[in-house]
Amino acid sequence: MSLLEIRGLHKVFGHGSKAVPALRGVDLEVHRGETVGLVGESGCGKTTLGRIVVGLQAPTAGDVIFDGQRLEDLVGSKGFRSRIQMVFQHPDSSLNPRFRAGTTVREPLQLMKGGSRSDIEKEVDEVLTLVGLGPAYKSRLPRELSGGQQQRIAMARALMSEPELVVLDEPTSSLDQSVRGRIISLLREIQSARNVAYLFISHDLSTVRRIADRVAVMYLGRVVEVAETEEVFESPQHPYTKALLSAVPSFDPNQRTRRIILKGETPNPADVPAGCAFQDRCSLVHGRCREEMPKLETFTSGHDVECFAVPTLAASG
Amino acid sequence: MSLLEVQGLSVGVAGSPHLLLRDVNFDVKAGEVLGIVGESGSGKTMAALAVIGLLPNGIELRGGSIKLENLELADADRASERVTADISMIFQQPRSALNPTMRAGRQVARVLETNQDLGKKDAKAHSIEMLRRVGISGADRVARAYPHQLSGGMCQRVMIAMAMACRPRLLIADEPTTALDVTIQAQIFDLIRSLVAEIGCGVLFITHDLAAVAEMCGRVVVMYGGQIMETAGITDLLDDPEHPYTRYLLEATDKEVDHRVIDVGVNFALKGCRFSHRCPHAYHACNEFPPLFAIGDGHASACFLNKEGRVVTS
Repeated sequence: MSLLEIRGLHKVFGHGSKAVPALRGVDLEVHRGETVGLVGESGCGKTTLGRIVVGLQAPTAGDVIFDGQRLEDLVGSKGFRSRIQMVFQHPDSSLNPRFRAGTTVREPLQLMKGGSRSDIEKEVDEVLTLVGLGPAYKSRLPRELSGGQQQRIAMARALMSEPELVVLDEPTSSLDQSVRGRIISLLREIQSARNVAYLFISHDLSTVRRIADRVAVMYLGRVVEVAETEEVFESPQHPYTKALLSAVPSFDPNQRTRRIILKGETPNPADVPAGCAFQDRCSLVHGRCREEMPKLETFTSGHDVECFAVPTLAASG
Repeated sequence: MSLLEVQGLSVGVAGSPHLLLRDVNFDVKAGEVLGIVGESGSGKTMAALAVIGLLPNGIELRGGSIKLENLELADADRASERVTADISMIFQQPRSALNPTMRAGRQVARVLETNQDLGKKDAKAHSIEMLRRVGISGADRVARAYPHQLSGGMCQRVMIAMAMACRPRLLIADEPTTALDVTIQAQIFDLIRSLVAEIGCGVLFITHDLAAVAEMCGRVVVMYGGQIMETAGITDLLDDPEHPYTRYLLEATDKEVDHRVIDVGVNFALKGCRFSHRCPHAYHACNEFPPLFAIGDGHASACFLNKEGRVVTS
């Protein structure tokens, strides 16, 4: 059974004529101890999805099942907060500027687990060591730390309660390339030490490729393709995934000649065309795409694509 | 002859002996895209600001020369028309670089009125033409929009239209796509390439993304801590990097890296090589400032040791 199961999730912000649908029917699963990368451009709804999963926002429709129970029943129940944690994009604004690192990391433990003072201190030291900082950093204020170090503190805080799932919302995008590499390998070390699952939200495809087991590609509030990481990168099927991957700058000059440059920009989410949302930028568009919304269908086992132009397993027999 | 020649450029904080840029040399030829790569705090933006004469308050030139087509800019009057018309800059955050209270078309038109003595009417017509040239469909509509009504990619196009309106000799692009999504980034790169080919200007392309450099540039300058580490043609740099910092940067993009070399801020008080306190190969000689040692055609590295770890003599 999967740790997290999302079915037909919808989220609409505002109402009436000003309604903006941020999620338009998302299906996604995360298994225990696995990393699912959620990629897509700004405005595609990936952060909204992350916030719903940790219970910071309520969905308009659809189900989020966490470990066999509906999330809405779990939110507010004792012990729930310790099971799902989140790391935000900007560590400088998600850390309390007046808390020393030790206080920040200690707080979840005092609130959720309790224990004697010396036990708590021991665990704080242990987690700070796990994120590659060490006990010496306990007395530091956020402003005395670099961006990478701040993000480690945020990670330590999230790990403190030994969660089963951590939602990481663009955890490396405010960091330099060299620091990014270290944070990624750190996340992997922590995963193997604690068997925690990650929902890794990012628009940076190369980072996702290095950390994720499976990748889900989002476009305008829907998951348009999901498969194992190498499968997505080596044999993308959805025309949007192909364009997205080919747009990544590359060291390889051959890659440049294969580039697909998309026309135009993402449509306004408040005014999504009927049928497939990608139709106006798609090179494979045909009549059906303008009338009917495609559904996520199985392309090969474990590889689902939402496009009429892609032959499905069912259709090809 | 080079279009832009920067020699021995040093920049420091007023009232402090430490230098933010130390002995920086590079040149840009007409029609060429020169990349400057480095992490935050490497001084890449500072170098660009020194060239265009927009150093922040409290930061001053400490020496060196900046020549645009043999005209010395380091001591020239920064408001001189020549400089404003010949050098244009595209900034990182398109939305905050545009004037929020002025319609997009008007901002482009003002550049033309100021620098090309066009009348209001001509400037307006020309500005809409410029917006069309940077690939904006519905240029009339966009010209009437305020920046907050436009997407990030659209604002960046408006800024490129402003920068290109006067057909500059030199274009400085400071992380022009960092704030944008990859599909829009590909569109913007394409646009900059075609405009450069059309106008024949030189480009100083500043970024932290080595892959973007590989995409856009012929030659690259790698900076760290306000100091040039290595300069080379793009293929030499990628296939045969010499400086320990460059090698480490390239590794960082696809492999795990050594603990010691990360998460350490730049120490601007260091007298010797600014990378020495992060460098796994550092030894006593690194307390001296390393000059750029030529190691090949257009390839130079500021390190006392070569790749094999032998002391360079030249």
